[in-house]
Amino acid sequence: MQSMMQDLGSSKVAWRHMRRGSWGQVQSLCKISSYFSNLQYYFQVNNKYVRSKLKLILLPFLHRGHWTRMSEPVGGRLSYKPPIDDINAPDLYVPFMAFVTYIILSGFTFGLLGKFSPEALSLQFTRGLAGWFLQVMMLKGLSYSLGNKDAPILDIVAYGGYAFAGLSVAILTKLVWNYSYYFILLWLCFCMSVFLVNTMKRVLFAEMRVYSNHSNRHHYIFIFIAIAQFPLFFWLGHLKA
Amino acid sequence: MAKEFNVPPVVFPTSSSTPAAVPHQRRATPAPSAPPFQPPRPATSTALPFMSFDIGAAPAPSSFSAPSFPSAASGSFSSFDEEPPLLEELGINTRQIWLKTTSILNPIRVNPNIHEDADLSGPFIFLMAFGLFQLLAGKFHFGIILGWVTVASLFLYVVFNMLAGRNGNLDLYRCLSLVGYCMLPMVIFSAVSLFVPHDGVVIFAMAAVFVLWSTRICTRLLVELASCGEEHRGLIAYACWLVYLLFSLLVIF
Repeated sequence: MQSMMQDLGSSKVAWRHMRRGSWGQVQSLCKISSYFSNLQYYFQVNNKYVRSKLKLILLPFLHRGHWTRMSEPVGGRLSYKPPIDDINAPDLYVPFMAFVTYIILSGFTFGLLGKFSPEALSLQFTRGLAGWFLQVMMLKGLSYSLGNKDAPILDIVAYGGYAFAGLSVAILTKLVWNYSYYFILLWLCFCMSVFLVNTMKRVLFAEMRVYSNHSNRHHYIFIFIAIAQFPLFFWLGHLKA
Repeated sequence: MAKEFNVPPVVFPTSSSTPAAVPHQRRATPAPSAPPFQPPRPATSTALPFMSFDIGAAPAPSSFSAPSFPSAASGSFSSFDEEPPLLEELGINTRQIWLKTTSILNPIRVNPNIHEDADLSGPFIFLMAFGLFQLLAGKFHFGIILGWVTVASLFLYVVFNMLAGRNGNLDLYRCLSLVGYCMLPMVIFSAVSLFVPHDGVVIFAMAAVFVLWSTRICTRLLVELASCGEEHRGLIAYACWLVYLLFSLLVIF
C-alpha cells in the first residue's frame, strides 16, 4: 500500500516536472527570441564609438569621464542608451571583430614560425572561444554570487570579448618586434583589469541602492577579477603549438 | 498521349515479313534527307506501327533487340530541337559571368549594376581556380576553401544585417555571390605567388595590394547593392578586410 502511494506520489511529481519542463522550454524559447530581438541594440555603433571604445579599452586611465551607463526613459521603463549615444554601453561589434583579428594575427604568427596549417588555426579558434567562455562564466558567476541575477548575458559576453582587442594589439607588436611582447602584454593585462573592474563595479552595483558599505567581499571579488586577467591573457597569447 | 514521330522507318532485311518500323535511335533532325522516304502524315499512318515514346508506355513490338531508349522525355520529346541549351537551362549565363569578371578586374571604378542579380557559378569557377593554383603550390585546400568561404559569407551577412538595422536587406545568396566574385584578386594572387619566393618582403607587399583590392571592391558592392550600408562603410570595410586577409593566409603560408 505504501509503495503504491509512493508510486502515485512519484508519478504526480513526474507529471508536474513534465509540465514545468515544457513550459520551461517555452520560456527558454521566449528568452532566446528576446535575446535576439535585443541583439540589434548591441550593433548600433558608428566609427566614432568604435574609436572611442578602443581608446577606452587600451588606455583606460585617460578616460576623464564617468563609467556609468546613461539611461533614458523609454515607454515608462528605464533603459540604457544605445552604444551610439553612450561610450560606456557595451556592444558586440568590437568584441567580434577583435576576436577575428586575434585569430588572423595568430595565423600570421604560426606562419612566421613555419607551423601554419588550417587545422592549427581552427584549434586556436577553439582556444579563443574557450577563453571567452571562461571569462564570461567567471564574470557571470561573480555577479550571481553578489546577488545580481539580472545582469544580461549579452552584456557580460561583450565585456568578456573586449579582452581580445588588447590581445590583438599584443600579438601585433610581437610580430613587429619580438622583445616587446611581454612588456606590452603586462601593460595590456593591467589596462584590461582596470577596465573590467570599473565596468563590473557599475554592473554589480546597478541593482543595489546601498553604496555605503563596500564590504570586504566586494573588494576581494574585484581583486580576483583583476588578477584573473593575467593568466587568461598569457594563455591566449601563448601561440606556440 | 501518343506522339507520332516522323523518322524514316527501319526495314530489317530479315525474315520478318512485316516491316517493323522501329525508330530505335533518336534523330537530331527529323527532316527526311533520304529521297525515297516520305514521312507519313500522322493521319495516314496505317500500316507502319510507330513507337510512341510515352512515359510508362511499353515498347510494342519486341522483335528488335536494340537498346530501348529510356523514355524519360517527359512528353516534350518531339520538341527536342526547341529545348534550351544546357548552360541556359542550368542558369549559367556565361556572358554575364564574363562581364562581372571584367568589372572586378578594374579596381578603380566599380559598376554595381552588373552585380544586381547574384549567381553562384562565377564564384564556383573562381574557387576551383583558387584551389587549382593552391594545388600547383603543393597544398590541397579545396575543402578548406569551400568551408572558409561559407563561414566568411555567413559572417559578413550577419555583420552587415546587424549593422544596417531594421532595413538591412542583404540576403545570404547575394552575400555569397559577392564574396565569391571578389575572390578574383585572391585567385590572381595565388597564381602570381607561384613564381615569387615565399620568404621575402615581396610576397607580403603583394598580399597587401591584392587584399586591399578585394576589400575595396567588396565594400563598394556591398554598400551599393544592399540598403543602409552607407553610414557604416568603414565598419563593413574592416570586416571585408578581415575575410580576405584570412584567405591571403592560405596563399602565403
